Amino acid sequence: MGELILDRLILRFGRRTVVEDFSLKVADGELVSILGPSGVGKTSILKAVAGLLQPAGGKILLDGRPLIGTAPEKRPAVMVFQKPLLFPFLNVEQNIAFGLRMRRLADSKIRRDIASIMELTRLTGLGRRRIHELSGGQQQRVSLARALVVKPAVLLLDEPLSNLDADLRQQMRDLIHKIQARTRITTLFVTHDQAEALAISHRVALLLEGRLRQVGSPRELFHRPADPEVARFFGGTNFLEGRFEKGALHTQVGVFPLPGFNGNGHRLTATIRPEDIVIRERGPYDLEGRVVRTRFEGMATRVWVQSGNTLLVVLTPDSRLTPGQRVRMHLPPEKIHVFPPPPDERRA
Amino acid sequence: MVMVALPFVPLLLWAFSDRWFFPALAPQSWGLRAWIYLFRTAPDQILVVTLQSLWVAAATACIAVAVGLPAGRALGIYVFKGKDLLSIVLMLPVVVPSLCVAMGLHLWFIRLGLAESFLGVVLIHLTFCVPYSVFVMWGVFSNYNVEFEDQARSLGATGVQTVVRVMIPMTLPGIVVAGLFSFLLSWTQYLTTLIIGGGKIITLPILLFALMASGDRPVAAAVSLLFVLPAFFTLFFSARYLGRKGLVGVW
Ligand SMILES: Nc1ncnc2c1ncn2[C@@H]1O[C@H](COP(=O)(O)OP(=O)(O)OP(=O)(O)O)[C@@H](O)[C@H]1O
Ligand SMILES: [Mg+2]
Repeated sequence: MGELILDRLILRFGRRTVVEDFSLKVADGELVSILGPSGVGKTSILKAVAGLLQPAGGKILLDGRPLIGTAPEKRPAVMVFQKPLLFPFLNVEQNIAFGLRMRRLADSKIRRDIASIMELTRLTGLGRRRIHELSGGQQQRVSLARALVVKPAVLLLDEPLSNLDADLRQQMRDLIHKIQARTRITTLFVTHDQAEALAISHRVALLLEGRLRQVGSPRELFHRPADPEVARFFGGTNFLEGRFEKGALHTQVGVFPLPGFNGNGHRLTATIRPEDIVIRERGPYDLEGRVVRTRFEGMATRVWVQSGNTLLVVLTPDSRLTPGQRVRMHLPPEKIHVFPPPPDERRA
Repeated sequence: MVMVALPFVPLLLWAFSDRWFFPALAPQSWGLRAWIYLFRTAPDQILVVTLQSLWVAAATACIAVAVGLPAGRALGIYVFKGKDLLSIVLMLPVVVPSLCVAMGLHLWFIRLGLAESFLGVVLIHLTFCVPYSVFVMWGVFSNYNVEFEDQARSLGATGVQTVVRVMIPMTLPGIVVAGLFSFLLSWTQYLTTLIIGGGKIITLPILLFALMASGDRPVAAAVSLLFVLPAFFTLFFSARYLGRKGLVGVW
């Protein structure tokens, strides 16, 4: 079992508060990502769970049992650091055996456990290698194996992919995904890469400026961000502000029907993702504008379109658009996401 | 290696000669008289003095490392007030000649009953071995990643296990350097041992000076060879074991 609850956690360094009121519930067997830009306190949260950092306030519960006050070596939560941190004076096998040796387990059991974990992490045959004879990806896998072999109730992964190049990253991500699915080990996965978080997690917790901004499934965060900042973090750049009247959002650039939405007279902010705006030559359209800038990105081209006083970003497969050109755009109503209005600004 | 061995040629010549008078370039007659004297005539004295030297140097080295390790760790890892001041204080025994320190402390040592004692000699050697060891370990811990210890704790190591199984192995080359060189510093002391030991604590260098003064060159040369043995061992060891590992920040 491994149900982890973080309850109003506060983390401070000296007088500086790094994480404020962080609450998160991770179900047994779940993989939850903590996503956020550099320096928001992601590593600090993992260290608090691992027992390596004393929280200034709040509770950490594992299966209902409080963890704060328990020494790190007694906690059933093991942390894998951003750097592999393999002990240079031990070989691969001895590194993986470290946690088991500290627990003074029998040699025969240690040998068996190591063999099976090395197979799971695709390290079979490398047991006798010295650490400096391993590639970066292999080192990261040894580091993961060393944590998994002690069978923790909670696995804490701190950006385990950030030191790898793109190709290896993908492989390692799939490996972690597979191992997590097979072992059903409760996992907190820290990353600053939104694509990584979306691809690997059951749920994502977005941390901005030391505060938890939104928790939900990858689809929820991507398609239904709680506020403009969350949307921005996931690459959303198009914001439409206006007043809702008679089933449509009236903005300075145009009128957009919003079926299924009610609440006349509300001032609203809505967003539409760059890839959801359709540039078309024929057929009905919602907006007209002039191409300001284009950037070819391989699979798609990013196009900045000025329409009235609003600059829209469109991601389109059409790579032939050039600056100065006039284009017509269709904004599918079902792709327009309206942010829930903040409680104090309901009626303007 | 040849370069290092060169100064020892005359020493070897002397040690294996029976007669060698000016202005001959080589001894007129060869022989093992010096060695026979060493191992037959006066083995007890030589053994006692060698052991005395070994104990003094070993005790000094052990204490120097035991103090240097935690102190170097604190200096290398943590930021605290008064760190600059501390480094100047540590420099003092290196700048001030040990002779002055020994003279200065002699009176106190007499009052405290430490003069002419084993402990007193070790203490006076520590006045320069401890700063040396602290400096070496400071350098080692400046390039040391404490996260290794966090990782060990998280994997299930207790505090003690972390020190024994992670911190010491990680810093072993530095510990060896600090220990060996403290040993050598103490092993080669003459004046400070003489002042504090007051002729009661006789180490190899003191015996050597006595032999030189008595004019028996071959015997003095033989004792000298015995005397440089640890230095040779240290040199050999550092070259073979430490040289390869590239001790950044130690030298
Ligand atoms: N030991 C420390 N002493 C003082 N401040 C610290 C310490 N460790 C971290 N901090 C500060 O706390 C904040 C959060 O650090 P943390 O390492 O948790 O961020 P992070 O989200 O993991 O960042 P990154 O993505 O760069 O790893 C940072 O601003 C950092 O400067
Ligand atoms: Mg971090």
